[in-house]
Amino acid sequence: MAWHNTWTLIRKDLAEFRHQRLVLGSIIAMPLVLGVILPLFMFYPLTTLTTTPTDTWDITGLQQYGTPPDPFTLPYTNHTQTNTHLTNQTITNTTLIHMTLSNCVIISCDLLDSNLTNCTVTTSSLSHTDCIDTIITESRGTSLSGRHIIATNANLSFTTTKPSQEQIILPTFINLVLIIFIIIPATLPTIIASYSIVGEKNNRSLEPLLATPITDGELLTGKIFSSLIPSMGATLLAFSLGCTMLDLLIIPKIGLPLLPNLNWLLSILLLAPTACLMSILGCVIISSKVSDVRAAQQVGGFIVMPVVVLMLGVLSGLILLSPYTILAFTALYLAIDLVLFYFAKAIFNREEILTKWK
Amino acid sequence: MITCSGLSKHFGNIHAIDDFTIDIPTGQVFGLLGPNGAGKTTTMRMLCCLIRPTNGTAKIDGLDITKPADAHIIRGKIGFLPEVPGLYETLGAYQNLDFYAQFYNVPKPRREQAIKQTLDDLDLWNRRDEPVGGFSKGMKQKIAIARALIHNPQYLFLDEPTASLDPQASKLVRDYILDLKTKGTTILVNTHNLTEAERICDQVALIKNTLITVGNPKTLEHTIFTRTTAVTVDHIPPDLSQTITALSGITLQKTQNTTLYLTVTNPTIDNPRIITWLKNQNVNVIYLTEEEHTLEDVYLKLLSTPHPGGSA
Repeated sequence: MAWHNTWTLIRKDLAEFRHQRLVLGSIIAMPLVLGVILPLFMFYPLTTLTTTPTDTWDITGLQQYGTPPDPFTLPYTNHTQTNTHLTNQTITNTTLIHMTLSNCVIISCDLLDSNLTNCTVTTSSLSHTDCIDTIITESRGTSLSGRHIIATNANLSFTTTKPSQEQIILPTFINLVLIIFIIIPATLPTIIASYSIVGEKNNRSLEPLLATPITDGELLTGKIFSSLIPSMGATLLAFSLGCTMLDLLIIPKIGLPLLPNLNWLLSILLLAPTACLMSILGCVIISSKVSDVRAAQQVGGFIVMPVVVLMLGVLSGLILLSPYTILAFTALYLAIDLVLFYFAKAIFNREEILTKWK
Repeated sequence: MITCSGLSKHFGNIHAIDDFTIDIPTGQVFGLLGPNGAGKTTTMRMLCCLIRPTNGTAKIDGLDITKPADAHIIRGKIGFLPEVPGLYETLGAYQNLDFYAQFYNVPKPRREQAIKQTLDDLDLWNRRDEPVGGFSKGMKQKIAIARALIHNPQYLFLDEPTASLDPQASKLVRDYILDLKTKGTTILVNTHNLTEAERICDQVALIKNTLITVGNPKTLEHTIFTRTTAVTVDHIPPDLSQTITALSGITLQKTQNTTLYLTVTNPTIDNPRIITWLKNQNVNVIYLTEEEHTLEDVYLKLLSTPHPGGSA
């Protein structure tokens, strides 16, 4: 395969695309509306929630965000530190026992029977620990107690407490916004990819193009990337803006940026492109089989169904979005992408397109 | 060299072209003539490896159009102008040409030079960046022709190259074709413009779903039609129709006023004999012309005869 030919086609398509201002506008506007403006409108009321003490609300100011990480073990034991930054680079085989830690940053440690005050704990394991004015992220904790704890992506179990209903909404909300960033790249290319082959045919430019030394594989790959680049570009733009805006709302509340976390990064870097590719491939297949742009777009609408299934699964709680789930769906989508690509190549019939389409 | 052997294409029950067998020597301009639906475009598409023949084959430079690996190489050697320009309307003329030139691995400096030269020749260099969607049909056709030529192909396939061009642009294209011919490019032209075919083609093939005839336009005219000399004289003697039989190989077709219409075999030899004989008969020749038949006459005569084959 000559990538030179593919790249030539991509550059031509992108140059054409730049001149189609209405399509370009919709490609940029849709992710901004769905990925930035809508989440902001939804998120803002949640940040102003005041926690109402209930029977079970006995940790004052507990705020828990994000998805708990999968179980992990850290083999640090027998170590004592005060007023310092502790990271997995400085602590080895140490356990902090019966220590009062003030103004510390504790990263990748095992904490057992400890007393934490005004600390930040990251990627650690805590047990029977009293935490006061502490931020705990990416950590696991059991039999904890304390007050004013901000927990992010942490799996914390308190002896006498559980979070309020309002605080439980936030992780679900964050997953919902994440799903929007998967839906966007899956729906965006239906506009461009549906046009890919049938558009060339309707423009009568397919015949001279097929008379050049471009192969079917190069043509299809070019058409796929011509749709992938603007779709993912617009999605990444919206993702960056969305994360920044949501963090700007979150930081005053919890004191640290929450996004993008590992789930979000894996989703946008792996799951979104594979979902986008799946959608594009489906549209390209349809585009090479129907003779009218409108028909291609109409049928192309069905392509996003696998992503909608994922969305419904997450929203209904049947699918828990964790790094492993995201990687599993990425692998699944990638496998579907490969099958679709070879299928698209196998059914691409120059003669049928040139002679049967009117 | 292009060799077609029994080339056929059927679309279900419709036989677009059947048993098409011709040889086109390198460096010739070859015209494909025929009515709408005669299979001209189908034949051209097969030769450009866009569609596969149902039966038979063709070879271009010894490469078989039915073999995928050969077809890929053939596509690198040819330039193709389809019936409709099929340009990217939002892009400029320069971008359109540059896009196609890149598929043929034309190095950038040579590409830029070739595009500039071609657009200059077509009087479009100053409008190179304007979207071609705003151009007239003729200008689009010019750019489409330039697109087919931009990589300096060995074989050029032109489907109605001067359709929608004004007379000046048509002449420009014709001159361009003849210039390419001198450089050794083999050119196949589909056209309805018989005058144009007569002017530029070394050989023409008349097809109507199968090959009807092939040959040099002038030779075809002389083969199909008897050659007639019209002699206008000062008077016609009453017994002329009898006495003229003395001229062997020359027969009197008719007389009209003071003009004699004579069938001759070879005008170069027979015309001087006619003048001498008339002078001997005390008849003064005022002027003598040869009745010309055109390719159009050949076309209409041959197509009025029924031929086997369906319609495309």
